[in-house]
Amino acid sequence: MNLKILVVDDEPQIRKQLSIGLSGYGYEVMTASNGDEALTSAAQHEFDMIILDISLGSPPDGLQVCRRLREWSKTPIIMLSVRSEEKTKVAALNAGADDYLTKPFGMEELQARIRAVLRRVVSEPAADTKSEIHVGDLTINLVNRLVIVEGEEVHLTPKEYELLRLLATHPGKVMTHSAILNTVWGAEYSEMDHYVRVFVNQIRKKLHENPARNVRYILNEPGVGYRFVSEE
Amino acid sequence: MFAIESMRRSLISVSLFIAVTLLSWLLRETLTLENFMTVYILVVLIFAINSGTKVAIAVAFISFLCVNFFLVRPYYTFLVADPREIVDLAVFLVIAVLAGRLAAREREQTYIARQRAYEQEILYRLTRTFNQLTTNDEVFKALTQTLQTDFAARQAYILPYATDTISPDQTVHYLLLQVGEKIYATLCAAFNDKLSPQQERLIHTCTSQAAMALHRIELTERVRQSRQFEEADRLKTAILHAVSHDLRTPITIIRTSANNLRNLGEGMPATDRQELATTIETEAAHLDKLVGNLLDMSRLQAGAFQINNDLNSLEEVAGDAAARVWQLTKHERIKIIFPDDMPLVRFDYGLILQALSNLLDNALRYEPPDRLIEIRGGVRNKQAQIRVVNHGKAISAEERQHIMEPFYRGREGHIGLGLPIAKGIVEAHHGYLEIEDTPNGGVTFVIGLPIGEDENELENSRSG
Repeated sequence: MNLKILVVDDEPQIRKQLSIGLSGYGYEVMTASNGDEALTSAAQHEFDMIILDISLGSPPDGLQVCRRLREWSKTPIIMLSVRSEEKTKVAALNAGADDYLTKPFGMEELQARIRAVLRRVVSEPAADTKSEIHVGDLTINLVNRLVIVEGEEVHLTPKEYELLRLLATHPGKVMTHSAILNTVWGAEYSEMDHYVRVFVNQIRKKLHENPARNVRYILNEPGVGYRFVSEE
Repeated sequence: MFAIESMRRSLISVSLFIAVTLLSWLLRETLTLENFMTVYILVVLIFAINSGTKVAIAVAFISFLCVNFFLVRPYYTFLVADPREIVDLAVFLVIAVLAGRLAAREREQTYIARQRAYEQEILYRLTRTFNQLTTNDEVFKALTQTLQTDFAARQAYILPYATDTISPDQTVHYLLLQVGEKIYATLCAAFNDKLSPQQERLIHTCTSQAAMALHRIELTERVRQSRQFEEADRLKTAILHAVSHDLRTPITIIRTSANNLRNLGEGMPATDRQELATTIETEAAHLDKLVGNLLDMSRLQAGAFQINNDLNSLEEVAGDAAARVWQLTKHERIKIIFPDDMPLVRFDYGLILQALSNLLDNALRYEPPDRLIEIRGGVRNKQAQIRVVNHGKAISAEERQHIMEPFYRGREGHIGLGLPIAKGIVEAHHGYLEIEDTPNGGVTFVIGLPIGEDENELENSRSG
């Protein structure tokens, strides 16, 4: 059976193009043009995914819809936003959205995000059973707490390792600064965003990242947090 | 102050008078009446100069009586034995009164002249101060300060900006700061004593000087604004020009490609269809970038950027910018070099990434294919710097001058928005964007951002 997706956007052309595109990828697509319609539709059908624009033109906005959906539904939500809405993106993630995508985007990008989120939702409970993570030249052995880059073991401090493990065990998922701080340092550090920046910087050097050659393991989500590369 | 001073002076004068009288009395058998009269005229003159007409005339009469009583036979009566001495005494009285009045007038003239000079000085000082001021508040402050220091005003405020109120009485004055029809404010000043007419006049003059200063500031501001409008107008024209040309090109390409797809799609080979679709995608991306730049430009010009000043890593920005170049070219074109102790700096990540990407776009255009653009981080003079080093040809002094102007068309006729936007963004962060020559040819752009004070804290966090 095809997976069902609800697309919520106030722009008819965007609804139409997303419908065509996503149907082409084999999904069953329904659309809603405002928040109330979206909530009703979500209650009547069982969706596998909801694509929700942050600014819907009329209340309730995407953020409110997301919050209300999360009161009773666990359906994965990807929010659509525009550049310079960092604070809103963080708010969306805090409101329970699984991911966001910045407009303008291509269909391939959307499809990749959808698949990544769906895969995470399906595999999340089982994620702990994995003992090794491989990405490019990087191998992380979770059992022995070993990090190997280009065949050589890299020494990380305990905090660095914790941080890397947190990101790497959630590939493709945006981890907000405060989520990282809460997990690695503890709740009392939740305002110290710059700790994360300094540590990520150190880890990147040790992992021999080279963005100019597209050797990247930890991706920046400006104003929001970090995302470990997807294994795809 | 003044009361004590004048009392001291009268005391000295009275003592002088008594001393002269005592001395004359002791010498009354030795000296003649003419001698005494000369001495007393001198005393009257001194009183006239020190204390004015009324006192001088009074002293003249008292002197006349003293001479008559103590020094003219028969002593201790107001009778005069020698009839010749009556004439002398009468003449003495007239001379003493006249001389006293003359001297007193001289004194008054001097006083008036001194007063004028003082007024002139206050006015001169005030006008000179006003001329250098550029805001209304400064003018108000200078005016109230003058009133307090030079006129010993108890209180001085500018209405309607004052919060306190003074209960009006004889010593409270309200003056309008007015030029022509326009009233800028009202001065309210309270003094300890009632003001003399001269003081009132002077305060009026000071107030109108202040009003003139306000008027001048208003005019200057108006000129500045109209200049800003002119600049905005010029920019608008340039934007319209850019919109009509640079935006229409991609739109035209998209339309014709879509047209062809619709009309000829069926009969076309699959590769051609693919190519048309790709063209639409690329041109849309191009359009997106242009629109983004135009938006940024107008927001920069309007000063409407909201800057999220978080502590951020320039190295991270460099990495993102380099990754974008990889996405675009699928080649390694950049080398990133940062010191290990590069501090975090407060800046808006998205905006600085935009600025750096614009600089990289520009550098890429002129980079020889066998060289790598360098992005170098460093710290100099309390500024975090990031250098974009290109190894192409050097640019002429003339080009360097214009390269950061909006809509300047460079060597290849690209629409010139990237560099001015980069400059605008960096300057909105209180930083600078400079151009240097790369040794052995090429252009280096230097972004400098001020380093804040919370850097030490970061050094501590490194060791965790």
